[in-house]
Amino acid sequence: MRLEDHVDIASDADVMAARQKGRTLAAEVGFSPTDQAMLAAVITELARNIVDYAGRGELLFHAIEGDGRRGIAVIARDHGPGIPNIKEALQTSYSVAGGLGLGLRGVKGLMDSLDIVSVPGKGTTVTARKWQS
Amino acid sequence: MSATPSDQQREYSDALRAYIARPNEQALRRAYEMGRGALSNGTGVLGIAALHHQALKEVIPSLSPEIEEALLIKRAEEVFIESLMPFEMSHRAFREAIGVLRRMNERIEEEAKRIAHALHEEAGGLLASTHLALEELARDLSPRGSERLSLVKRLLDQMDEQLRQLAHEIRPTVLDDLGLLPALNFLADGMSKRSGVAITVEGSTEGRLPTAVETTLYRNVQEALNNVIRHAQAGKVAVIVTREARAVRCSVRDDGVGFEVSTVTAAHGERGLGHVGMRERLESLHGTLLITSIPGQGAELLMYIPLEG
Repeated sequence: MRLEDHVDIASDADVMAARQKGRTLAAEVGFSPTDQAMLAAVITELARNIVDYAGRGELLFHAIEGDGRRGIAVIARDHGPGIPNIKEALQTSYSVAGGLGLGLRGVKGLMDSLDIVSVPGKGTTVTARKWQS
Repeated sequence: MSATPSDQQREYSDALRAYIARPNEQALRRAYEMGRGALSNGTGVLGIAALHHQALKEVIPSLSPEIEEALLIKRAEEVFIESLMPFEMSHRAFREAIGVLRRMNERIEEEAKRIAHALHEEAGGLLASTHLALEELARDLSPRGSERLSLVKRLLDQMDEQLRQLAHEIRPTVLDDLGLLPALNFLADGMSKRSGVAITVEGSTEGRLPTAVETTLYRNVQEALNNVIRHAQAGKVAVIVTREARAVRCSVRDDGVGFEVSTVTAAHGERGLGHVGMRERLESLHGTLLITSIPGQGAELLMYIPLEG
């Protein structure tokens, strides 16, 4: 069983490969079909962000373990312009009425944790984790 | 994306047909993107359900009879879930936003309580000490000196009164101590006296309501009355609070000049902004705001907040 995988993201076509690999790993870790669909959605949104804002980057998937539970970490990494205002990108308090809660905000809601490291001009790394319930 | 309903149907039916025949990521991705489009173009969750239903009717007769029913159901469900996932994301983000909004309102009210307390107790306490010190001083003064000192005392009394008023407006202790109706009565009395508009408060909450509900209704009535006094040229305003089985309803009706509803519900302009604030406070409690008005015939603002449990 492969416990990690990696997909280069440069175009919309790569999103499909990323979804497929993420879903396969999620199934191996033991996630339910609904959770697998959530992970596919998360992968789609993260990959879409890479294509739209950085042009290219990569997605990595890792099986993770802790507290007797298993889970999956999805890491999206690019060397694009960075996110100028992370708080704003995640803010749900006001803009949700205008936005639809997709993108990073949507990712946050489907996963158990979300960490973002972004350096202006250097790029962005988003790490999202989901544990089996 | 400006897909017509028939485009959407074809796209969804194709994805479903392809996936049932042979499960593949591409079909799931198509279903996901369909859902994403449906979320932004307003097709909605029920629209997706209708598309799914229609697609099943189209696809099932054309399937190879070898596909088992259980497998068919499982695969159809997988496609359906993909198309619903954008709605699930949006729903979760919205729920979180409501929570953030509610916590923000609570923080603002806590801060208001703190400021009101500081004004009333601390500044008020200093004023009382000042009075005592002046009494001491008065004993040593000539009659003419005492007279001039009494002018200073009257000014201090006015300051005391204004501090009290300000503290009350920032956070009325009567709201915390006695509840919504007494607080609204107190508010209406003060505003009536200052503006000359007759304001009546009627109804009952049948006991105390959750703090957040009381605060929201109080603040919104305060804002509504301010709006009426400033803009409506009204002679009378009636505030009516009604407790229902699982909700509380509050109406503010005036006999003023009225307005075009569309001009105040827009998110710009001074009155528009006021309504945005009211709506936000209500939304954090899953409440609703209804504004009705006919120019020349007054206006009514109706708030409705569901109560849990």
